[in-house]
Amino acid sequence: MAPRQGIAIRLAWPLKTIFQRFAFVALIVLSIALLFLGKANIGVIEGLRTTTTDVMTPVLATISQPVDAFNSAVNKVQKLTDIVEENARLREENARLLKWQAVGRALSQENENYRQLLNALSDPLVLPITARVVGDSGGPFVRTLLLNAGRDDGIRVGQAVVGPLGLVGRIAETGTRSSRALLLTDLNSRIPAVLEKSRHKGILVGDNSASPTLEFLPNNAIVVPGDRIVTSGDGGMLPAGRPIGIVASVTERAIRVQTFTDWSRLEYVSVLRYDLPGMSSPDENPGDLGESRLDDK
Amino acid sequence: MTPTIAYQINRLLRGSVPFAVTMLLALLSVVPTGINGFDIVTPAFVSISVFYWSIHRPYLMSAPLVFLLGIFSDFLTGAPLGLSSLMLLAVHGIALSQRRIFIGKSFLLTWWGYFLVAFVIAMLSWIVACLYSLTFIPLMPVMTQFILSLLVFPFFAWGFGMLQNNLLRHT
Repeated sequence: MAPRQGIAIRLAWPLKTIFQRFAFVALIVLSIALLFLGKANIGVIEGLRTTTTDVMTPVLATISQPVDAFNSAVNKVQKLTDIVEENARLREENARLLKWQAVGRALSQENENYRQLLNALSDPLVLPITARVVGDSGGPFVRTLLLNAGRDDGIRVGQAVVGPLGLVGRIAETGTRSSRALLLTDLNSRIPAVLEKSRHKGILVGDNSASPTLEFLPNNAIVVPGDRIVTSGDGGMLPAGRPIGIVASVTERAIRVQTFTDWSRLEYVSVLRYDLPGMSSPDENPGDLGESRLDDK
Repeated sequence: MTPTIAYQINRLLRGSVPFAVTMLLALLSVVPTGINGFDIVTPAFVSISVFYWSIHRPYLMSAPLVFLLGIFSDFLTGAPLGLSSLMLLAVHGIALSQRRIFIGKSFLLTWWGYFLVAFVIAMLSWIVACLYSLTFIPLMPVMTQFILSLLVFPFFAWGFGMLQNNLLRHT
């Protein structure tokens, strides 16, 4: 290649090096500028981000399918090995749950009767949208999930995300076909919660560790490890009474909460469309059935 | 003596292999694995790739491409925008300036080089992330990620070496 180089190219060579150096420094400065700009939630950047996730979600869904298939195959084999014990345990549990079912039915009927006597308002309808988890945080600095459902499916920022066992987090960003859920373990997560038994209210604060802390409890609140924690519904964005976890440890410094959700096995989650009449704007959180796709079918 | 179009397309496709592979690795690093806690400590595949190609094919892994890869992975992971691009550019810069030391030497030296670079990057990204959110972020996951990245480095380097020998021999 060298013999064919003309004089112009030979002269341009140092220029190219200078240009490359300059580009490198400029890009570093740009990255730092982006870090600062990112704090300001600029519309264009948000738009670019959601467009990227919209485009990449189908790709991720395709890539994650074989991984999911492999995992479920491994699970099946694992289950096969202790199928007899499992069956015996489930029979026992079923017998116990049947008793609970009878109790539950009686209580629910009783509750209904009291509601009618008091003319109490019932909670508004909660419509779940089930979405597949196609991406996780992939790094140590954030705790998020990428879901393959977005604004077109009725998902809005702020809605609650629940898994099979309990609350997972809230929606932080929406694209047209994808959305990002902020897990309740993330540094930026704040969830209004209540101690199920004593009804003392607090805020569940994430700190990027596996167990979030319960803060802002009243001073006279008595908390013991094992207490169940559920959503309080304060603020009107999350439905009340959804299970979150149990108190794991109480120390001078913090009350740590063990979440019910098994973070490694979230394949599908439900996003709850929920609307308190008169409290949330329909543009931000359309909980009514009118916009839902379920009606069309 | 202009090369034919077919030859140029061929060259272009071969030349884009390092970038395409790194894109794919960025995607793979967010795929849920179902392994408990792995999502937090997923090895930094992208940084391994950027390090390798910056040493062996620097003109196919130029600074603008590294920047784009960083932005892309920040978009995917939801991390503070610019964090990955800043760190990857640092990896690129260090690797490029020291590439004479690594080229043609034993693999162990490259591995040692990655150890140093990855450690610096892990600490730096941790400090930047702490400053960004103005809180103390647990250091443990960052260090675990660093160690895992170090452990998988030989496998990736081997794979990239195969790619380089088969597809990029003459580019």
